[in-house]
Amino acid sequence: MKHVLVLLVLFASPLAAQGYRLRLDGRFQTVGYRGVQLDSIPVTDTVAGPGGGPTTPDGFAVRCPSGAPYCLFFRPGAVQRGAPFVSTADASLWGFGVRGLSAHATARAAVDFTGSNAWPGTDPALQLLTAYAEYSVERLTARAGRQLNSNRLGMIGFDGASITVRDGRHGLDVSLYGGWGLARGVALPVTSPALNPIADFQPSNRQLLLGAEAGWSGRLGDVRAEYLREVDPASDYFVSERMGFAGVARPAAGWSLGAGADYDLAAGWWGSAEATLGYTARAVSGAFGVRRYRPHFDLWTIWGAFSPVPYTAVQGQVSIRALPQVQVRARGEHYRFSDADVSTPLVRVEQSGWRGELGMTASPAPSWTFDAGYTREFGPGAASVGTSASVTFAPAAGPYAVSLHGAAMDRPLELRFSESVLHLYGVDTRYDVSPSVRLELGAVRYAEDRRRPDPAAIDWGQWRATVRAVFAMGSGDDLGRLPPAVRR
Amino acid sequence: MIITGFLVLTLFQQPGQGFDHPKHKALFPSCTSCHAGVATKGESLWPDPVSCTTCHDGTIEKTVVWRPPTSPRRSNLRFDHLGHAAKAKDKSPSCAVCHTLAGEPRMAVRAPVVQRCLDCHGIRTAHVAAPDTACATCHVPLARAASFSRQDIAKIPAPPSHAAPDFLSRSGHGAVSRQTVGTACATCHAQEFCYQCHAGSAPPRAITWLASDPRSTAIVARAAPAAHGDNFADRHATVAAASTTSCTSCHVRADCLECHRPSAARGAGYHADGFLARHPASAYAREASCSDCHNVGVFCSSCHARAGLVASGVLRSGYHDARPFFVAGHGQAARQGLESCVSCHVERDCLTCHSAVGGRRFNPHGPGFDGARMRRKSFAMCTVCHGAAVP
Repeated sequence: MKHVLVLLVLFASPLAAQGYRLRLDGRFQTVGYRGVQLDSIPVTDTVAGPGGGPTTPDGFAVRCPSGAPYCLFFRPGAVQRGAPFVSTADASLWGFGVRGLSAHATARAAVDFTGSNAWPGTDPALQLLTAYAEYSVERLTARAGRQLNSNRLGMIGFDGASITVRDGRHGLDVSLYGGWGLARGVALPVTSPALNPIADFQPSNRQLLLGAEAGWSGRLGDVRAEYLREVDPASDYFVSERMGFAGVARPAAGWSLGAGADYDLAAGWWGSAEATLGYTARAVSGAFGVRRYRPHFDLWTIWGAFSPVPYTAVQGQVSIRALPQVQVRARGEHYRFSDADVSTPLVRVEQSGWRGELGMTASPAPSWTFDAGYTREFGPGAASVGTSASVTFAPAAGPYAVSLHGAAMDRPLELRFSESVLHLYGVDTRYDVSPSVRLELGAVRYAEDRRRPDPAAIDWGQWRATVRAVFAMGSGDDLGRLPPAVRR
Repeated sequence: MIITGFLVLTLFQQPGQGFDHPKHKALFPSCTSCHAGVATKGESLWPDPVSCTTCHDGTIEKTVVWRPPTSPRRSNLRFDHLGHAAKAKDKSPSCAVCHTLAGEPRMAVRAPVVQRCLDCHGIRTAHVAAPDTACATCHVPLARAASFSRQDIAKIPAPPSHAAPDFLSRSGHGAVSRQTVGTACATCHAQEFCYQCHAGSAPPRAITWLASDPRSTAIVARAAPAAHGDNFADRHATVAAASTTSCTSCHVRADCLECHRPSAARGAGYHADGFLARHPASAYAREASCSDCHNVGVFCSSCHARAGLVASGVLRSGYHDARPFFVAGHGQAARQGLESCVSCHVERDCLTCHSAVGGRRFNPHGPGFDGARMRRKSFAMCTVCHGAAVP
């Protein structure tokens, strides 16, 4: 061992070029809201309400299952108060004496000072989102550690290794990665107790994951293919097996045609897909396309066997800079679910829906920005129609910005007697204390008028306040003054 | 013909300042009488200050204080008078050709007139619009322009080609750089300039042909490609899925994680202000794939549970009271919005009826269900409802 240490000391490269980037993001919030609480009452204690239906003596409409000795209803629940503090640290280090070698980590600590866990994601208190070492040269990139791959199959988190080999001259690259997988949408393994509410059949082992990607990039377009399989080591059966394809063609300046699809090999059906024709010029940009969405469920749950049906949508959007200071935008989407083919059609729900938005952004003076929009969406389960507006003052030379925003919204539900009109008022401020320190302060008021003819029209209105501080620091003079799109 | 009078070697045309050449035109019939260095090796480019005192002695003329520069002028020109004269031989221009405008008298001396360089070298364009191959005719690469300060570099004018809408794209500067990075690009740029954007993955080969020079970041490259356009955040998914390598030319994971990460710390960012209030409409028929960033169990279920929106195994509570018989006829709603269902319900709720073992044997399998394949791929999942007797 001593000999090894001596050799390391003798032949170690100098660390003169070592550099790092560290970004600390701390956010404290306060929130208080009222939920609902399930309650019951004996059938014999109910009274006839104004509409003739059964109610509690204090006016709550109740639902009495046939043959049951009691009726059920929802009372206003206790006000849930939370004071979460969430801090995220991003760090990159390089210059270990080997050109191309670097290390990256992103970690998050979260705590709810009220101890109520009213805020999601505060359990466990410390989470490691990524932590890996990377070696990258012109033809090869290799990583080892906790990684988060982003591709059309989603955000794939895993603990393991990946390697990418590329031929830049011909625009080719091939990647292979594998390890122990993480749960979808969170940096926790599926065995984590924090995921327990999701299902009763939580796996006892982490899934083994193996993925591959290959792509070609050229002047006129790109194509890419991906494959991912996850296997439960306890049963040797699949958790998921999917593949995806995507491509973009750039036939002329400003024009692009993108398309992609994924196929669930385990379920034997096509998942989500899309095709979009886009055009971008200095004053006008727009896109028109079709897309299809089908949710994906891992096979350690039973949900995939319930045959979720996809919807197909036609969508378009356009943005026009009518004047140098004014930009108008519009977008819309119409979608329709495939036939659910249910054998008990006692309840019909909406099968199609649409979404639309009209908006305008104006900057009459360099420091002022006004934005206004009108959104409307209607579809299965819920709908909303509303307007929103904001005004922002951000002097170009000033280290601060202030934004006032407000919105009004009507949001009826389809499956529950609930329609509420919501007014929202908020203020956001930002102050750049220095190039490496930013402070933010915000508050928003949700004022809700729930339209329901009984006391179950609870008041969901609430205040939310946010204080945030971002610290960015680093070394390495050659990387000074870099824009955000660089290693941090 | 000997070149004299090149007093300043610089990019920036400045009128002759300090010494008033026209006023002294009668005294100096030859440029080299003061600027011997332009014609004779080993001589100084500047006159001896003592020679000025011949007249400026305080009696004949007022005294003047002048000292020749002790350091070379800040410049990125590869020009030197003797070398240029030797190379040009009989085509070597006179001093006035370069240091005066057309039609001006010999002693109307000014900094070198760039247009004269272009004319002699056959470049028929404006200076910064010259073809890429022409830059190296007069200029050294930035890394060799040691006298240039960061301030000088920041003032270098951008060629008109850089304003083209697609210049930041692969077919724009990418294609150009593969041909001329060592000549044209290197005149103003070095590796560090490129790394301002190309930091997300292994750098393109062309960048490695440039020298390293930290001063090159004095030119800040911050503009987004025109192809991004407006609302790009809303429609970048397809492009990102197909062209990951294009994205990683400029972006690193932290850029994506700003929005695409399961962070409870995120407020307004990916979602607009007030999205919390209208998320039911967006989530029921997924406007986007929520579960890519939000784990249903950790994020949706826990929040709904705190608000009381949780089944708790009681299916007949009547929460969905806008539809009579909802429990008996929820099939269509469930198959259309299963992700929404599972944000409040757990598997046990459904297995009450949809199980062949202990349930009421209501078949949950619908269109597209391939039982044989599912059995082959995940037999364990089948046993949840069917026990060991999987059909």
